Amino acid sequence: MKRKFDLPLTITLAVLALFVFIPMLSAFEFSIRTPVKGGYGWDQYLWAIREEEFFYYIIRSGWLAALTVLITLIVLVPTMTWLHLSKSTIRPFVDGISLLPLVIPVVAFAVGAQISFPEFVQDTVLELPFLYFVLALPYAYRTLDIGLNSIPLKTLTEAARSAGANWWRTIITVIIPVIKSAVVGTVAITFALSLGEYTLTVLLHWDTFPTWVTYVAQENILGAIAISMMSLIIPFLVLTALTLVAPERSTQGRK
Amino acid sequence: MSSKSLTLRNISKRFGNVNALDNFNLEVGVGELVALLGPSGCGKTTALRVVAGLEHQDAGSVLVGDRDISQTPAHKRNMGMVFQAYSLFPNLTVEENVAFGLQMRKVNKHVRLKKAHELLDLVGLDSQSKRFTHQLSGGQQQRVALARALAFEPEILLLDEPLSALDAQVRVNLREEIRRLQLSLGTTTLFVTHDQEEAMAISDRVGVMNNGVLEQIDTPDALYNKPASSFVASFVGTMNRIPAHITDGMVEIFGSKIVALKRGNESGKVHALIRPESIAVAASTQGNAKVLTRSFMGASSNIICQTADGTIVQSLMTSASTGDLLPGSSVQLRVLSSEVLVANV
Repeated sequence: MKRKFDLPLTITLAVLALFVFIPMLSAFEFSIRTPVKGGYGWDQYLWAIREEEFFYYIIRSGWLAALTVLITLIVLVPTMTWLHLSKSTIRPFVDGISLLPLVIPVVAFAVGAQISFPEFVQDTVLELPFLYFVLALPYAYRTLDIGLNSIPLKTLTEAARSAGANWWRTIITVIIPVIKSAVVGTVAITFALSLGEYTLTVLLHWDTFPTWVTYVAQENILGAIAISMMSLIIPFLVLTALTLVAPERSTQGRK
Repeated sequence: MSSKSLTLRNISKRFGNVNALDNFNLEVGVGELVALLGPSGCGKTTALRVVAGLEHQDAGSVLVGDRDISQTPAHKRNMGMVFQAYSLFPNLTVEENVAFGLQMRKVNKHVRLKKAHELLDLVGLDSQSKRFTHQLSGGQQQRVALARALAFEPEILLLDEPLSALDAQVRVNLREEIRRLQLSLGTTTLFVTHDQEEAMAISDRVGVMNNGVLEQIDTPDALYNKPASSFVASFVGTMNRIPAHITDGMVEIFGSKIVALKRGNESGKVHALIRPESIAVAASTQGNAKVLTRSFMGASSNIICQTADGTIVQSLMTSASTGDLLPGSSVQLRVLSSEVLVANV
């Protein structure tokens, strides 16, 4: 099908693209400069890959993000399914609570965590995924909410239960596959947000990929930008892969 | 198929201030199809949901055979259920939907797909087994839902207004199909509907409900001809309510005396309840009524008349005998039955 050329849309997209790509391209151009030799080269990228810490921190941030995603799905999908099915009046209240992380300053949140968490929790980096989960909550909650609102949840759940599925199997074999695109969206948002989280991590004195990049920048700004460029490409590849995995069949219109 | 009888004993269920079921009792025999019929809000769906375990009763018990399942969770009740609509899993193909119940029972894939195909064959949809449910029409979707509900050989089949979202012609075809399948498999079935024609057409017995209470449960024939209450009489089929007076157990209607069938202590001024087909209309210059309208419906015609005192009376006659009953013409009304039901005014 031939689409009509839409001038205002094209201009808007072009301006948006400039805003997104000019800083990125400039950073890239900066990162491949070789001040000593003059001209351009891949020196900084090769340097970054040779740094042991590069892989150490990227893997660490990766599994912390993966753990956050897991916590988000395990906590949110059953809870929200229950909220949508129950006739209880607490749903608007929970909707409100889910937005709190947007208005509470991260500093306050970090201090609160330091005061209230027992020492054995603060001693392990595993406290981070739980806190990242809270930071990602407003976005994850909204995405799943839209997914659950778009399906005949009550009937599907009852059909599954009357056919012999217990609650867990109903959630795993019916609900999650039916709202797959919302689940994939939640995974992508939570993963990206956890991977790039800086403030809270620093305030709690942990080192992850973003804090390490900042540290590197103090000594080698070109290297830090090269690392950042690579860290942009990795989540991009992850998100693209996830988007490709999400099939269209569950989102096609029902009669 | 291991079908069992179903018993509901003294079931009560309240939603806030509303009494959805009030000391409700029902028995469905092995292999029997019983319909629960009633206006919306009468509690029929609640009764079905209590049986399915999707709603929990405040009091009373549910028995399958002689096993009390009142406390058994829905997924362990072994009951097939067909919903109004939109209950097929959109992420699964038709055959996967039908095999779902067997998958939950950990039946191996080969066996469950074989069973799914058997059931799809029974509902005439085997050729569609690889399609997704949104590619099917509404009638086909309900057929798949029926196959899914029967695939794991449930002890009881529950139908929650399965035809109400479908077109008229599809409804008629599918209800006949449900009955054919139910008879051939011998599955004990509880069918909830607000459509009396549907209930009467395919059920062994029909229970008429009102305000959480079973007013009467009987064969369609008995329900129509011998309604136990004024509510049942008016709810099932069309019923004329003609003002009359009881004297010595007789009522005088259109100038003739007829035996009054009492249900209680009716006396004095009453309404005589008479079916349209029990009233004959004949052209007469000295008649006791006037024709208002005549609706031709093929083999039969519906004549609406008004008596001298203003009562509207409906009659159903074979079209052949209504040629001279033009609107405005004077007619003589006559009751064909030898006894009539009466109800207090």
